[in-house]
Amino acid sequence: MKLSKDGWAGLAVAAASLFLFWLTLGLKDNPLVPIGPGYYPRIVLGVTAAFALALLLWDALHPKPSPPRERLNYVLVLEMFAVFGLYVGALPYVGFRISTFFYIAATNALLDRPERGKGWLRVLAVALITTIVVYYAFERYLTVLLPRGRWTNF
Amino acid sequence: MKKWLLTAALAAASFTAHAAYPERPVRLIVPWAAGGDTDNIFRPFAQVWQKHLGQTVVIANVGGASGTRGAKEAKDAPADGYTLYAVHDYIHSTYWAGVADVQYADFEPICLISSTPSVLTASPKTPWKTLKELLDDAKKRPGQITVGATLASTSHFFPALIEKATGAKFKYVSYEGLAPRMNAILGGHVDLTDSNLTQKGKVEAGQLKFLAIATEKRHPEMPSVPTLKELGVNVVYDVNRGIMVPKGTPAEVIGKLGSSCAAAAKEPEFAQAMKLQGTDVRYMDRNAYASWLKQNDDLNRNLAKDLGLLKR
Amino acid sequence: MFELLGAGLADMMQVKYLVPLFVGTLVGVVGGALPGITITMTVIVVLPFTFGLEPLQGLACMIGVYVGGETGGLITSCLLGIPGKPSAVATTFDGFPMARKGEPGRALWIGIWASIFGGLLGAIVLVAATGPLAQLALQFGPWEYFALFVLALSMVAGLVESSLLKGLLSGALGCVVTILGNDPVMGQPRLTLGIGWLEGGIPFLPVLIGVFAFAQIMSDVERFSRTPEAVNTAVNLVVSHAKVLAEILARPFLLLWSTFIGLVIGVLPAIGGSAANMLAYDQAKKFSKRPEKFGTGIPEGIIASEASNNANVAGSLVTIMAFGIPGDAVTAVMLGALTIHGIQSGPLFISQNAPLAYGMFAAYILAHPLVLILLFLGVRWVLRIVTVPKSILFPVVLVLCVVGAYALGNAMATVYVLLASGVFGYLMVKFGFPLAPFILGVILGDQIEINLVRSLMTDSDLWLFVTRPISALLLAMAVGSIVLSVWQHRRMQKRAATEGAADF
Repeated sequence: MKLSKDGWAGLAVAAASLFLFWLTLGLKDNPLVPIGPGYYPRIVLGVTAAFALALLLWDALHPKPSPPRERLNYVLVLEMFAVFGLYVGALPYVGFRISTFFYIAATNALLDRPERGKGWLRVLAVALITTIVVYYAFERYLTVLLPRGRWTNF
Repeated sequence: MKKWLLTAALAAASFTAHAAYPERPVRLIVPWAAGGDTDNIFRPFAQVWQKHLGQTVVIANVGGASGTRGAKEAKDAPADGYTLYAVHDYIHSTYWAGVADVQYADFEPICLISSTPSVLTASPKTPWKTLKELLDDAKKRPGQITVGATLASTSHFFPALIEKATGAKFKYVSYEGLAPRMNAILGGHVDLTDSNLTQKGKVEAGQLKFLAIATEKRHPEMPSVPTLKELGVNVVYDVNRGIMVPKGTPAEVIGKLGSSCAAAAKEPEFAQAMKLQGTDVRYMDRNAYASWLKQNDDLNRNLAKDLGLLKR
Repeated sequence: MFELLGAGLADMMQVKYLVPLFVGTLVGVVGGALPGITITMTVIVVLPFTFGLEPLQGLACMIGVYVGGETGGLITSCLLGIPGKPSAVATTFDGFPMARKGEPGRALWIGIWASIFGGLLGAIVLVAATGPLAQLALQFGPWEYFALFVLALSMVAGLVESSLLKGLLSGALGCVVTILGNDPVMGQPRLTLGIGWLEGGIPFLPVLIGVFAFAQIMSDVERFSRTPEAVNTAVNLVVSHAKVLAEILARPFLLLWSTFIGLVIGVLPAIGGSAANMLAYDQAKKFSKRPEKFGTGIPEGIIASEASNNANVAGSLVTIMAFGIPGDAVTAVMLGALTIHGIQSGPLFISQNAPLAYGMFAAYILAHPLVLILLFLGVRWVLRIVTVPKSILFPVVLVLCVVGAYALGNAMATVYVLLASGVFGYLMVKFGFPLAPFILGVILGDQIEINLVRSLMTDSDLWLFVTRPISALLLAMAVGSIVLSVWQHRRMQKRAATEGAADF
């Protein structure tokens, strides 16, 4: 029995939903509501687990030829996610303006690696202009308040 | 000595930081979905208030979970005067009924601005024309007449008070906020609900029935609706709305908010907007509001106890 | 009704509404034309800008994006052979061959005019049907809503092309998202997994933004190459409009049938334009006297695809305005915008917010001539914008996603949700799980729960779900749609076995 991606996904989802199901058993009922807060989650998680197990079984019983592998640039995807994660993490501490500037600069540089000084100039210009435009458009013009840094108060 | 210096430094820092309060827009957390009655009261108030405050007041609707989600968020916000909290009497009832851990004492009061009398409202699909018919019917079938309510909030307490005063027994169905309750009652999916004079238009169009209003005297906006009191049910109930800030907000910020709130509450423009919402302007300054809150909290605790909802 | 519509149109003609509508349409055309940027993404990018506007301004802008995007998508489909968005895939089948045969102008303008006709025919239904449907929706109690939501989920799960099981699992996973955090009735914390920002529950909009934006951008990043696609902007687009119009109007049955299909798919919750254009194309082929010519560059194929995807917009608007249920991801974002502006969507929407509702109708209708004007003036210009480097486009789009997510709850919690769902959405794509049922599950999950609780609180009798006629009908349809798609998958698998495996 050899599993493909489907089977592993089914296995993971089934395990996760059964774990959550187990957690719902500890929920206390509320006297004002005839069914407790765990009633519906148990239905949902039960159904999810059932589907996931069915997917696992299906995959185990119907072996499929593995599709030809495409050469994809997963390193770049990981880098993109990492930079975005850093951005989101830094946002509440250093504030919208500073973190957005660095995020745009970093992503732009990642996707279009600057070769010489001119390239870096482009990266900085793109980051600076977009940050300023976005900030003023929202905070000043549209009164959509953007996060300020806890450390920088900026 | 060290402690002393630290406090002084902190004070200086906070002074410089707030020297020009408010230097950017402030946000007012409304803990209910937009379009509900609370939202409809605070939006026009924010319009008037920002003129006196000198900065934009941005409404942030943080709804859900009987209004406690917004309360939690307001409580956890930095106490710098840039996050304000629009509150009503539910803060007491949800605390005592055990729905929320946030209570009024977690905040500093700024001002009370309005009071909205509750009206017992019936679906057009019900047979009753008067409160008496409803009560007679309720005696015949206890626990079968359905009431749409935000559980453990004011719309739950008000019908519960009527239950207690008359010996009727209702069945409660969770409909959070006035707007979904209106959908349900117009479609006849619940029989009764707590509403207010904002729904006047629907009553005049024959889509809804006002059975009784919970004021001392008949309301000038709709004098044809009898009071619960004159029908022999001793219940007076209204929903009071005000502004609070997280505890620890600097005194000068509270002062600025208080004075601008006072000026805004006296504007005729605000009074006019409240009339449209079936609401009376009821202004109280910081101190009066604080002692009123304390009284109201005791009252709600007793209510919750009497109604069998007390969980603390 | 027509008075109200007249008032709405007069309102919309004011500068303060016309400007956002125009800007929205422009952004929509460009976003629709950009390969790799769907209308959903465009509307997500526009969303934070609408927070600062009046409700009707914001909605006009979003409707502009929607209509503009449906039309704009055909530019790249016809001229480059790359669908600008999923709902223009079928347009490439005949549009691109026709353009390559030396008639790019004809291909383009047949598509544009068919879009306009489809859209405006859809408008008639939008204006006429929304009110009565809202009346019907008012009769829906919690049982009926529960059944309706279950039906919507099962239908979308069944429409999935690869595996029905994965579609269903996707939908179920969407519901799982809504049970995390706290219960919607009493706000009692549950399944928070010890994560602080989960305690407020997970709102659907940041999930939707994260899943769609990242699934798409990262799938592009995988294949990223630094050299932008070369675009020939010097094509000759001159064409006789009278001839093109005659070509379309000579096929009234095709036009009406495609419009009808678009509308019906639009009204059905959360299915959307990508299904509409394929289905309409398929139907046009079936009804045609010369089915073998399809795919070689004949006008029928373009008309069917483009009329249906614009009519689909009208259908989606009907559903969201009458029931408060999004017809697709774009209207789901609109639903979020409505809530932020303090407007409760649902059966009372039209009667309580008549000026707003008719303003939306008017915006929808006026967006069509605006699109036409825009394309008259600047097709070539749009073609040039398509070459904006993605190294700039992607970070800007993602920053706007962050702004949108943050502004939703004015808190970092929604931004963390955005990040988490971005990772999750990308994983789903990699494992071949369809996104649409997942998103619908996230949108409807807590509605299903609330209506289940409400119905049990009103009456503890569970049989009511099957003894109330409308509820019983809807649930039977849900079962029926699953059975139907099992049967269809069987048939497709037999066919696929001979044709070779398809991708996800």
